[in-house]
Amino acid sequence: MQMRNTGLVLALVLAASAFLDAQDGKPKTVGGCPAEPAAFHTCAVAKAKTFTPPRTRSGKPDLQGYWRGQLAQSFSVEGVSGNEPLVGSSVMPWEISPPMIVDPPDRKIPYQAWAVPIGRIGVNYHQYVDPRTTCGSGGVPRLALQDASQILQPDGDQFVVWLHEDHHVQRVIAMDGRPPLGTDVKLTNGDSRGRWDGNTFVIDSANFNGYNWFDDSGNFYTDNAHIVERLTMIDADTIHYEVRVEDAKVYTRPWTLVWALVREKEPGFELLEEACREGQRDLDTLLQSGMKFYFDKPWQGR
Amino acid sequence: MRKVLTSALIAAFVSLVATRAWAQQPTRTSDGKPNIQGIWQALNTAAWDIQDHSARLGVPAGQGVVVGNEIPYKPEALARKRQNFDNRATADPETKGYLPGVPRIMYMPFPFQIFQTTDHVVMVFEYDRGERTIYTNGTPHPRGPLNWWMGDSRGHWEGDTLVVDVVYFTDETWLDRAGNFHSDALHLIERYTPAGPDHINYEVTLEDANVFTRPWTMRLVLYRRKEPNVRVLEYDPGRLLDEAQAANR
Repeated sequence: MQMRNTGLVLALVLAASAFLDAQDGKPKTVGGCPAEPAAFHTCAVAKAKTFTPPRTRSGKPDLQGYWRGQLAQSFSVEGVSGNEPLVGSSVMPWEISPPMIVDPPDRKIPYQAWAVPIGRIGVNYHQYVDPRTTCGSGGVPRLALQDASQILQPDGDQFVVWLHEDHHVQRVIAMDGRPPLGTDVKLTNGDSRGRWDGNTFVIDSANFNGYNWFDDSGNFYTDNAHIVERLTMIDADTIHYEVRVEDAKVYTRPWTLVWALVREKEPGFELLEEACREGQRDLDTLLQSGMKFYFDKPWQGR
Repeated sequence: MRKVLTSALIAAFVSLVATRAWAQQPTRTSDGKPNIQGIWQALNTAAWDIQDHSARLGVPAGQGVVVGNEIPYKPEALARKRQNFDNRATADPETKGYLPGVPRIMYMPFPFQIFQTTDHVVMVFEYDRGERTIYTNGTPHPRGPLNWWMGDSRGHWEGDTLVVDVVYFTDETWLDRAGNFHSDALHLIERYTPAGPDHINYEVTLEDANVFTRPWTMRLVLYRRKEPNVRVLEYDPGRLLDEAQAANR
């Protein structure tokens, strides 16, 4: 309970600071790059080439520490335009935001025709309870924009651990080149295997159970998804976070999302326990209103 | 035959020497601490009942992990324990898919993985995405009061033993499926001592003046999971319960 309140206060503080920034009208930059995902992406890719990251004792780029997502919002990876009715919602107004998609050039998810009315404020949004609301994992990559997270590079370099405050989710990324899991083992956050590509930490994940959305809009992938995340430091306190999503079941081509992870520098900061199910109060109300659990995923059978 | 026997004897001898040598000198992290990283699991019946018990339907008989077997409950707490046992099918927080708390998660029948950095010993549990960060950087517990399902853990090394102090619990977790319980005043002192490359002697002392008349201790062994490519997978009880509920709607 205590934690949920803290999380709420934190969210309010963050929302307030974003609002103040907007009011100030200051040009917002992140890591010295423009604070618009596509412009940030171009700038960050160039910057990464000249920045030499700190190293761990074993000589790997040192990404350890506490991080928060920036240039990202949870409403829609396709961005929120002024025409979106939810911007005027009295319950939870959405913020007008640029798309986080940087490829394809139209910055929309390249859905196959059948999938458009399911994702993009469609069947998923109107008929199903957001899987994250049921206290499960926000999923990959949405996890990286909810609350704070911590990257650890434990002794021996066999694994990288990415702890997320959101619903106490953790990811253990195997770095030792081990074989993948059998395809019948499906996991909420997938089976993640990592490697270093120069200064970039690459996470390659499959074996998803498909029980996750990208955002509040119900944009989705299936259990067939293959997701490659690339984390590159562009200065001491900023990571360029690039996510390539491939799922031939739903999309016509692979596509790419980008945002920033910015170091949380509050002295003495630690991740707090965010129990969720233990304090769940609103799920029954949602179910009574006719919303369904996402278990009978509407893409099944495709 | 003799050759096989000789090989077996040599193998046993080598293994004995290796274990002995390790007991004297555990493998170390780059900080010189005992390296206890890896995937571990308790192999006993404490998840069902931490005390000695005969078999019940679906419950294997077991020798308890409580030192001396008796838990020093205050009289009213013992009555509550008995009531918990009678109502365990619905009253056990495990049946609701909640985080099981500490020390219960240490002996659930699921694996967990330990990671070490200079400042942390991190435990990642297959059961319910449980996670414990044990800070080993000398920081104290945060200012309370706090009610956390998994408590707040601060540790330090005493020789080759990791000693962990855990406080700030809720009164909503139990110690097993037999109704043993504690209050939010629970204070744990855990001791993790490597005993060879593949075993950790785990000892936990429980203090809780609301429920017990004196501190008491559990002792058990954690075993290294050694299957090739063994991984901590996912058992999310909340999701599985929701899925069953959805199927029944």
